Amino acid sequence: MNPKALTRATAMTIAWVAVVTICSELSSTFKELLASIGGHHWIGKSVLSLVVFGVLYGVFAMFGNDRFSLRDTSWLIATVVLSGLAIVIFYVVHF
Amino acid sequence: MVNPLIFMHAILAEIGLFAFLWVLVELLNPTETRIERAKIAASIGAVCLLTAWLAGGFYYVEVYGSAIKPVIKASEAKWVHSIVMEVKEHVFLFLPILALLIVALLHKFDKEIIKNKDARVSIILLAGLVFLLGFSIAGMGAVISSGYRFALESGLA
Repeated sequence: MNPKALTRATAMTIAWVAVVTICSELSSTFKELLASIGGHHWIGKSVLSLVVFGVLYGVFAMFGNDRFSLRDTSWLIATVVLSGLAIVIFYVVHF
Repeated sequence: MVNPLIFMHAILAEIGLFAFLWVLVELLNPTETRIERAKIAASIGAVCLLTAWLAGGFYYVEVYGSAIKPVIKASEAKWVHSIVMEVKEHVFLFLPILALLIVALLHKFDKEIIKNKDARVSIILLAGLVFLLGFSIAGMGAVISSGYRFALESGLA
């Protein structure tokens, strides 16, 4: 198990969830595409987030090193905060 | 009566969040025994959050969308769905992934956590993040319930 790759994959997946959430609200075609995965766009996002996490871990583990540091965690926490804020701000403005 | 699915969703999520608070506490001054307990707590937490995800998701798709959402959206509190619920359902997706990461880091570093400060601080910070983020989401759940009650009291149901 490569902890650095896992942390990076987590950060990228969370950023991906934020981007896909905003894009699906802006494009009804994209929202329908997500809904076609499991009958509802939220199920599509949920399933795809696990798939994206697995794929990204594989990519980062294959091409990156495994020297885990606090810096990786800091980037992850910053990504969680920024992604959460992006979702909040988007829905407030969108309303 | 409270729908059993929403009850399961809320209870399991709260048990899961407190399990990550337990992880945080165990790692403040880690020993081999405390690390073993932290691994158990993180596993319980991850299983609870994953099950809460399934229960909440099923409720959201099968019940909320057809029975609750139209009532809230027809009321003056439609922002409760359009902002609070939308944020909640998407930010919640962060939690199971973070929970799985914490379980993986605990198993990867195991006893090394005692000497590896980066690993220890990372897991403490992530467990704290899951706890805080999770209870922010629980607060959103309370706002949504209040919004629904407000809509019902407005005579729109």
